[in-house]
Amino acid sequence: MELFNVFIKAAFVENMILSYFLGMCSFLAVSKSVKTAIGLGLAVIFVLGITMPINWLINVFLLSENGMFGMDLTFLRFILFIAVIASMVQLVEMIIEKSSPALYNSLGIFLPLITVNCAILGGSLFMVSREYNFGESVAFGLGGGFGWFLAIVALAAIREKIQYSNVPPALRGLGMAFIITGLMGVAFMSLLGIDPSTLTK
Amino acid sequence: MAEAKVLEKKEPTFAFGKNERKLLTDPLDDNNPITIQVLGICSALAVTTLIFPSIIMAVAVVFVCAFSSLFTSILRNHIPKQVRMIVQLVIVAFLVTVVELSLKALNYPVYKQLAVFIGLIITNCIVMGRLEAFASSNKPWRAFLDGVGNGLGYGIILIIVAFIRELFGKGTLLAGTPIEAKLIGPTAEYFINTTESTYFGWYANNNLMVLPAAAMFIIGVLIWIQRSRNPKLVDIS
Amino acid sequence: MHSNKYVLVFVFIMTTIVALVLSFMSIGLKGIHDENEAIFNKKAILSSIQSHLGENVKAADIPDQEVLDIFDNRMEQLVVDIKGNVIPQETVNASYKGGLAEHVDMKKEKKKDPADKMLPVFIYKKDNGEKFYIVSVRGSGLWDDIWGCIALKEDFKTVAGAAFDHQGETPGLGAEIKDNAGFAKQFSGKSLYNSNGDYTSVVVRKGGAVDKMTEVDGISGATVTCVGVSDMLYSGIQYYQSYFDKTKS
Repeated sequence: MELFNVFIKAAFVENMILSYFLGMCSFLAVSKSVKTAIGLGLAVIFVLGITMPINWLINVFLLSENGMFGMDLTFLRFILFIAVIASMVQLVEMIIEKSSPALYNSLGIFLPLITVNCAILGGSLFMVSREYNFGESVAFGLGGGFGWFLAIVALAAIREKIQYSNVPPALRGLGMAFIITGLMGVAFMSLLGIDPSTLTK
Repeated sequence: MAEAKVLEKKEPTFAFGKNERKLLTDPLDDNNPITIQVLGICSALAVTTLIFPSIIMAVAVVFVCAFSSLFTSILRNHIPKQVRMIVQLVIVAFLVTVVELSLKALNYPVYKQLAVFIGLIITNCIVMGRLEAFASSNKPWRAFLDGVGNGLGYGIILIIVAFIRELFGKGTLLAGTPIEAKLIGPTAEYFINTTESTYFGWYANNNLMVLPAAAMFIIGVLIWIQRSRNPKLVDIS
Repeated sequence: MHSNKYVLVFVFIMTTIVALVLSFMSIGLKGIHDENEAIFNKKAILSSIQSHLGENVKAADIPDQEVLDIFDNRMEQLVVDIKGNVIPQETVNASYKGGLAEHVDMKKEKKKDPADKMLPVFIYKKDNGEKFYIVSVRGSGLWDDIWGCIALKEDFKTVAGAAFDHQGETPGLGAEIKDNAGFAKQFSGKSLYNSNGDYTSVVVRKGGAVDKMTEVDGISGATVTCVGVSDMLYSGIQYYQSYFDKTKS
C-alpha cells in the first residue's frame, strides 16, 4: 500500500501546481477552455508516467557512484534528464500521430509544450532528492500527473464561468487567473493536515 | 524600411543604438516576461520568500538567458532542424549546470536553499521562449542583449515580489546578508508562548505571505496595476 | 534539412564538448564543494551550543576558518554503537570515508536496525573545563525527514541547547522548527527526566508546555511536525543511553 500512499500524496496533498506551483506557464496559458485543458492534462499524465521511471533508471544505473561507470556523474543529471524528456515527448508525439490521428489533432500543439513544463523536470528532480525506489517513482509520476490534470481542468472550468462576471477590465484574463490560482492553492492547503500513512489503515 | 535595413547592415557588430536599448528596456515593463508574456512563473513563486535568494536566482537567470541566446544565435545556421529543441535544451542545461556548480562553490547555504529550483531554470519558459522567438533568427549581439533584457525583466518582478513577501512575512529586508535590516515586527529570536499569550514585538508575522499562494496574489495585483496604467495591454478575452 | 549523418556528427561533437567542460569544472571544484559542505554541516552542529560559544554568537555567522579551528581544538568526535561501545575509526571508515563522527550520514543510519546503528557524538570543551555532549537525531516530519543536534550537559539529563533542520516542511508552519530561532531556544535548560525520575525526553506540547521541566511549546498549525520532533527526540536520544551510562560511571 506504500505505492497507493505515494500516489494519493502526489495527486492531492502535494499537488504539483497548487502546492509547488510547478508547470504554471502552460497551466495559465492553456486553461481558457475545459476541452483543451483535458487534452493537455492527459498528455502530462502520460509523459510524467513514462519519464519518471526512465530517469530513475538513468539516475541509478548511469549516474550514481555504484552505477555502470563507477563514478559520480551527477553533474550530467540535468542534461540527461532533459534530453530524455525531450526525446520522450517527441516519441510520444510520433506514436500518437501514427496510431490515432484524431487524438493527435486535438493534442498536437500542446505536446511539444510539455517538454518545457516544469512539472515534468521538477518531478524527476524531486524523485532524486527524495530517493524514491522504482515503484514509488512510477506512482509519483502518475499521481503527480493526475493532480496536474485535476488542477488545470478545475481552473479552466472556473475561467469559463468567470467570463460572465464583471471583473475590472485591467484584471481580466491573466490577472484574474493568477488570483484564482492563489485562492485554489490556499484551498488545497487544507489538505496539508492529512497524514498520508493513515489513509490506508 | 529599406533604408533601415541598409543602415543596420552598416552598423558595427557591437553597436548600442536606440534599437539595442529597446531590446534591454522593453522587457522591463511593456513586454515583461512574467506579467505580459506569462513565461517563467514557477520559480518566481517558489524562491521569492526572501530577497537575497531571489537576487541570486535573478542573476542566474540573466546569465543563462543571455549566454544561451548568444550560443544559439552563433550556432543558428548550423543547428539541424530535426533536433533543434534538444540542442537548445542541451545548451541551456549546460549553462544551468555551470551555474549550479559555481553557486555550490561560492555560497553553499544559498545553494542548499534554492536546490531544485536552480535545475528548474532549464524549463524556465523565458529561456526557451526567447531562444525560439528571437535568438534563433537574430545576430549574436542583439540576441545577447535580448537575453539580458528578458532576464532583467524577470529579475525585477522577482525582487518586487520578494520585497513584499519578506517585509510582511518576516519583517526583515535582505535577511541572510551582512546588511540585513529588521524593519518591522519581532526579531528572529521571538517565539509566541501559547500558554501565556505573550508576543515579543508589535507585529505578528503574516504567515500567508510565506506561502506560495501569496506570490500568486502579488503578481495578480502587479498585473492589475500595470494594465490600469497602460490600458493597451488589457486582454480582450 | 540536414542529412542524418550531419545530425549525428553535430550531436556527437556537441555532447563531447559539453561533457568535457562539465567534467573539468566538476572535478576542479570538487575540493571546494566538499569543504563547503563540511563547514555547512559543522555550523549546524555548532548552532546547538551557540549560546555557550559567547554573547550573541550566531553559528551561521562564524567565519569558516574559526569553525574549523573550533573543531580542531575544542571538539572531540566519537562514534558509538547502541551498547555504548566506541566504534574504532577504521570500522567507521569502511562505511563512511574519513571515519570521524562528522562523516556519519544520518540519512543512512536512520534506515538501519538499532543494533547496527553508528551514532555520532561530539564533545565540546569550554575553557573552564565544562563539557557538552552533542548527539545527532533524525526522524520524520509531515512531508519528509527532520533532524537535529541536541547538546547535553555533563549530567546527561539537562539539555544545553538544540538545533533543528528539515527537508521540506511547510514554510511558516512546520519549517518554523528551523526558521524560528525561538523554537530551538526553548529547549535549553529542559530535563530529559521528569520529577519522578522517568525518562520522558523533551516533549513538544500542542497548546503550550504543561510540565515546564520536560516540555516545550508546540507550533500552532504544525501538529504533525511537532509530534515528529517529540518522537525523534524520544527514540533518538534513547539510542545513546548506554553510552551515557558508561561515561557517567
